[in-house]
Amino acid sequence: MTAIAEIKPTAGSSPLLAFWRVLRKNRMAAVGLGMLTVIVLLAVFAPALAPYDPYSSEGLGVADVYQPPDSAHWFGTDDAGKDIFSSFMYGARVSLTVGFFASFISIIIGGLIGLTAGFYGGRTETILMRFTDLMLVIPDLPLIVVIVALTKPSLLNIIFVIGIFGWTTTARIVRSQTLAVKSRKFVLRARGLGAGNAYIIRRHILPLVMPILVVNAVLVVSSAILNESTLSFIGLGDPAAISWGQMLNFAFSRGAMSSGAWWALATPGFGIVWVVLALTLLGQGLEQALNPRLDTHHLMPGRPVIHEEAGAKPIQTDVALEVRNLSIDYIAEGKPPARAVQNVSFTLRQGELMGLVGESGCGKTTLMLSLLRLLPAAGQIVNGSVCYKGKDMTAMSEDELSALRWKIISIVFQGAMNALNPVRTVGDQIAEAIRRHEPNFPREKMTGRVVELLDMVGISADRRGHFPHQYSGGMRQRAMIAMALACNPDVIVADEPTTALDVMIQAQILQLLDNLRKRLGLSVIFVTHDLGVVADLCDKALVMYGGVIAEYADVDTIYNASRHPYTQELLKAFPDLSKPRKKLTSIPGHPPRLDNLPKGCRFAPRCPLVFERCLTEQPALRDLGDDHIVGCHLAENPT
Amino acid sequence: MSRWQRLVRKAGWALFTILFVVILNFFLFRILPGDPARQGVRDPRLTPETVEAIRVRFGLDKPVINCIQTFSPLEFGDCGVNPLEAQFFIYVANLLRGDLGMSFYYNRPVGDILGERLWNTVLLIGAGQILAIFAGALFGLGAAWKARTSIDYSALIAGLVAWSVPTFWLGIILLFWGSNNGFPIGGKETPGMSSYPFMMRMNDFLHHLFLPTVTYTIVFMGEYLLIMRSSLLDVFAEDYILTAKAKGLNTFQILKDHALKNGMLPLVTIIAINLGYTVAGVIQIESVFSWPGLGGALYEAVTRRDFPMLQGGFLLIAVSVIAANFIADLTYAYLDPRVQVE
Amino acid sequence: MKRKILYLLLICAFAVAACGGGGGAPAIVRIGWGQGPDTLNIGAAWLASAYTIAELTYSSMYELNLDGTITPDLMTEVSTSDDGLVYTYTIREGVKFHDGEPLTASDVAFTYNLVMSHEDFPTLHSYTEYFASVEAPDDKTVVITLTESIPNIESKLIFLYILPEHIWKAHEGEDAATFENLEMIGSGPFKMLEYKPNEFIRLGANPDYYGGAAKVDEVIFQIFSTSDVMVQALKSGQVDMITGVPNTSVETLKQDKNIKVVSGAPLAPDLADIIFNVTDPENCPVDEGGLCTGHPALRDKIVRQALAHATDKQKIIDVILLGLGDPGIALIPSGLGEWFNSSIKDYEFDVEKANQMLEEAGYLDTDGDGVRELPDGSRPLTFRMNWPSSDTTAPRMAEILAETWGQIGVTLEMQAVESDALTAQCCPTLDFDIILWGWVADPDPNTLLIIPTTDQIPTGYNETGYSNPRYDELFAAQGVELDHQKRVEMVWEMQAIIHEDAPYIIPYYAYAIQAYRTDRFTGWLDNQPKVSLEDPSSLLAGEPVK
Repeated sequence: MTAIAEIKPTAGSSPLLAFWRVLRKNRMAAVGLGMLTVIVLLAVFAPALAPYDPYSSEGLGVADVYQPPDSAHWFGTDDAGKDIFSSFMYGARVSLTVGFFASFISIIIGGLIGLTAGFYGGRTETILMRFTDLMLVIPDLPLIVVIVALTKPSLLNIIFVIGIFGWTTTARIVRSQTLAVKSRKFVLRARGLGAGNAYIIRRHILPLVMPILVVNAVLVVSSAILNESTLSFIGLGDPAAISWGQMLNFAFSRGAMSSGAWWALATPGFGIVWVVLALTLLGQGLEQALNPRLDTHHLMPGRPVIHEEAGAKPIQTDVALEVRNLSIDYIAEGKPPARAVQNVSFTLRQGELMGLVGESGCGKTTLMLSLLRLLPAAGQIVNGSVCYKGKDMTAMSEDELSALRWKIISIVFQGAMNALNPVRTVGDQIAEAIRRHEPNFPREKMTGRVVELLDMVGISADRRGHFPHQYSGGMRQRAMIAMALACNPDVIVADEPTTALDVMIQAQILQLLDNLRKRLGLSVIFVTHDLGVVADLCDKALVMYGGVIAEYADVDTIYNASRHPYTQELLKAFPDLSKPRKKLTSIPGHPPRLDNLPKGCRFAPRCPLVFERCLTEQPALRDLGDDHIVGCHLAENPT
Repeated sequence: MSRWQRLVRKAGWALFTILFVVILNFFLFRILPGDPARQGVRDPRLTPETVEAIRVRFGLDKPVINCIQTFSPLEFGDCGVNPLEAQFFIYVANLLRGDLGMSFYYNRPVGDILGERLWNTVLLIGAGQILAIFAGALFGLGAAWKARTSIDYSALIAGLVAWSVPTFWLGIILLFWGSNNGFPIGGKETPGMSSYPFMMRMNDFLHHLFLPTVTYTIVFMGEYLLIMRSSLLDVFAEDYILTAKAKGLNTFQILKDHALKNGMLPLVTIIAINLGYTVAGVIQIESVFSWPGLGGALYEAVTRRDFPMLQGGFLLIAVSVIAANFIADLTYAYLDPRVQVE
Repeated sequence: MKRKILYLLLICAFAVAACGGGGGAPAIVRIGWGQGPDTLNIGAAWLASAYTIAELTYSSMYELNLDGTITPDLMTEVSTSDDGLVYTYTIREGVKFHDGEPLTASDVAFTYNLVMSHEDFPTLHSYTEYFASVEAPDDKTVVITLTESIPNIESKLIFLYILPEHIWKAHEGEDAATFENLEMIGSGPFKMLEYKPNEFIRLGANPDYYGGAAKVDEVIFQIFSTSDVMVQALKSGQVDMITGVPNTSVETLKQDKNIKVVSGAPLAPDLADIIFNVTDPENCPVDEGGLCTGHPALRDKIVRQALAHATDKQKIIDVILLGLGDPGIALIPSGLGEWFNSSIKDYEFDVEKANQMLEEAGYLDTDGDGVRELPDGSRPLTFRMNWPSSDTTAPRMAEILAETWGQIGVTLEMQAVESDALTAQCCPTLDFDIILWGWVADPDPNTLLIIPTTDQIPTGYNETGYSNPRYDELFAAQGVELDHQKRVEMVWEMQAIIHEDAPYIIPYYAYAIQAYRTDRFTGWLDNQPKVSLEDPSSLLAGEPVK
């Protein structure tokens, strides 16, 4: 069972409508519902549709027993000569009735227990959940068998017994959801406003618990149906009601197999599989809709690199990294490709620290990942090259490339909590990188090397055996840096390494990075949206907007002679301690959606200096000399 | 909380649960209708005197607990009876000595019968579970790895269908198939082979084990596949997988060293919880394949009103489930270091 | 190493396949049956299957033959005292137990005394009901003194298997019922080789058997939890004989040229009955918890006879038994031979006549809902109908009854009830209208005839609550009538009374159906009036196909 994501309250929309939306989107749920509908219709209209009455044996004789399927009996006849197709339809009624009503009981009990436990907490919760645990320990089917066997096997009884033993999972799920919802802001606010418990439960908790309850209900129905059929199969069903399990019981105990009457065994079993499968599909579909999962993951094969133009030859071979005309698309089926990065070029020299600046969604991370071809499955390099010391990495095979990863370029990921494997020790994860790239590294020296690396980032040796969750946020980030240093790379890409850290720690980390660069002669690409940091540390800055270069220059130029309105606006938005009293402004609006780019300049909709040409024509990159590149129509006229 | 405190607390809870089962066990079977001294048999040879004599033999003439003679219908007995002579006390005292009582039906100690049957079931469950876990994890892994491809969709559909198939029905289908393909279809060995060489008997046994195990494997594999797939899909989308890839590890190394352990975590919990449900499946499989195991013994005990057997069987199952949960907790703590600190 | 094991396995697999073909291998008869014995201690046994094994491993004074006759087994001579209370038996000499110890009169006396003193032997104890004392004055003489002179002592001695005193002596006390008796030392034609509870029983031929050793070497009873699987095992040759065949499989089995299906009267009488609650309020066993809530209409003989006329027995036999049974008449099944009253003419199936009878008796449908009411109009003829939930054929029978009885304005509320709960509801509580149930009984008619006597209402065996002084009188008289022919006449009259008063409708006498493979063994006694291929006489006669 996966953790249930919080669901946004769907204000004003009826649950039916929400349900319909889910169905339209989710093929699994739709197929499940379709399959279920067929059976429900067969069940409801059984008296009208069934060619024979399964409760009557009028006119049947020895010759009718176990007749194979023919035009009179589509699914053959059973051990008493009755039409199996008719019994099948009537059997659907019993199975569905039991499934529905039994799960209704389970849901009510489980829902109440889960809601009470989750909402009231404390001792009530402890007692209720301990009770639930107890019920989980006792195997339910044997218990149901015992109770049904020793009481009257009427349909009502079976429904009741299956119902009162099927609530445990519901209680657990409802409790955890209630717990999650209870601490949400709007509930706390309502409570602060003096709303009563009943009101809060009805108005705020229930609407959010309901969807999960519905998903769960679907699964409870299917297990109730399975339980009923099992009971009937072992001869404990209600003999006055034909159910699928019972049909199987009759077939199995009355010689269907040895008579070769496979139809008597196959048909009812098929019915059970059909309904349970339908419900499971529906449940899985609904669950997916409630708790959507990314369509991709990191292990999907990447898309092949395409070179639109003849491979641009590297110009310089003495630089650490040279990126030429790099363009990246995100491909989604049935949609035009999203142009995430277009025509980006830059050069990173040995020992240089370059800032990669821009708001979220400007293609910084995409660009960074593409350097090592770590793009998600939908991402595709459609043009350009990434050259390390004259070798084009976009043209390498996966094996060649993976030998270079971390060895020449390593990455300090954003949010080290998630970037470190929680179930392996930090020291082990550092050593892993060394083992990968230096298979002959002496084992006895490994610990020493790890300690040395940790020492470099200021982590004491005895913490190498600890797990990431035992580290503080700043320590994790430093550990990540130590890991990045493990194979003595030439280039380190630091992807917003200080987000989510407090200011003091941020400063420490930045200082550490800068020191290490100087000590080890590293080249660093520093991805950030904070121009202030860039000003303090970097030699050069690459400002990106909407997937293209806005401006590329050394830091002094960026600060004092920027030519792109976007850079200028960013500068306005950052507090410059040297110029107090300056009013801080933020840029109104958002970066463009990459699948829906404006026709002309991508910054045009937000640009304070926009003019007509900007709306129709995309500005070309203009080299203003001294490695100062600007992508703006205004830069055509030198100032 | 320290590791030891946690362990002690868990063990305490496990003991409490067992105590609960012990008590529930005793009263459940005495509240339910049915006279064990008759065993549902209607036979003119069975005289009322004989019924009474059998009741005395099994101690059923004694009050259930002090003041209450029997639960069905509620009858108040002699409150002057020494509570130590009541059925409940005798039951608990015997349990403490490891004595599960005499089977009403087989006239043998319940412990002996369950012991014989237990191994057969453990073998069946063991073989089936191991295969199901391996197959489920493997196919789940394949499906997650090749997510959104036809491999994934076929694995998903296979998993869903396997999960939807009623155990007994699958058993019947396989039995039908097996009987026409030279597989033995009943019991756990061919009778009369006790003097044959060990390897031949082993071979014979494996032949008998085949069909029940396949049934069991398919039924549980579906669920494991679905869980493994979904948990691995979550893991594969985690940042540390990207880190591993950036470190230059190849897909195999990433799967082995970073994905599997993390992805197995939900499976560990499910396997432990499943043990309780396993019993339900095993009852069906054993009855279809005439497998002389615990599930069949329980089912027979139900039909024969053999309360000591039922009590013993339920206790055994509950203890196994509790133990499995306990082991799963420990395994989980071993696999996931985050669990140790709360 | 791994590879080696694999090869070994393969070699073994071939070896097993080769053995299956059978060359000079011992002749082993593999018999599939549905239920194994509950215990090898015959004293503690409940199940007929325990008796089946006991028949093969033990001997007793008399044996029951497949033609229904009773002939001497261990005993050679008997003399009876004039008052019919003292029987003096001389037993066969030179008989040995399987362990080589001689079987003497003292073993016989020991066994009878053991059974007499153990009230907690659930089924066996009843056979010593009229025993006052048993003695063995010398090695070959047994003297049984009875409390009453009874005509049917042979039928009781059949099942009192002689246990070896030298083994059971140590267990004659309280643990007689808990002794596991795994060795099962007896003196019968087969001896116990291997017992795996709920799996199989392996018996070997006793070469020293006084009646001549069996021609097969071993007999294996293998337990199958479902009859369908058992049939499948016979078809695929995994067993050579099966002791029960679902009626639905008979046709398929008959088509197999290597399989012979045998059907006929079962060895132990097997009776299905439709029980009416006819209890007169004054006979209600209130002290025993009697509630006697039977529908008043069922106390009227006319109603019961009308129901009998509206019961299509042939249809029931066709649907449930696939024709493999005979229409039932009264309590004594036709398989009991001379005891069965073959002169009774049954109620013919005639719905019109049934309707007419009810009409004339004043049961009219006054409110026009299709259901008749009592003559005073107070209650409709709606009867509760129950059956034990373990019975898979009862629901089919109930359906058929509901249909034809519906045509005479009777409706049924049908419900299966767990058999213990049904016992509690049935007798002596008598809290029901109609029950579909049955009896399995002894070859002596007494065990069935005792059921509808007034004395048995409080004990719970008289399930209908029927009471008829003439019947009670006849039952008492036949029980001490030593003249065989007179006793037969009385038993016939009792059947006629029950048929006329109809506290029961007996729908059918079902055949026992068994089958065996003809390509493996031959000579089984398959042409006897009673069908029991696993009977000692049959297993002794069979031999491997040459």
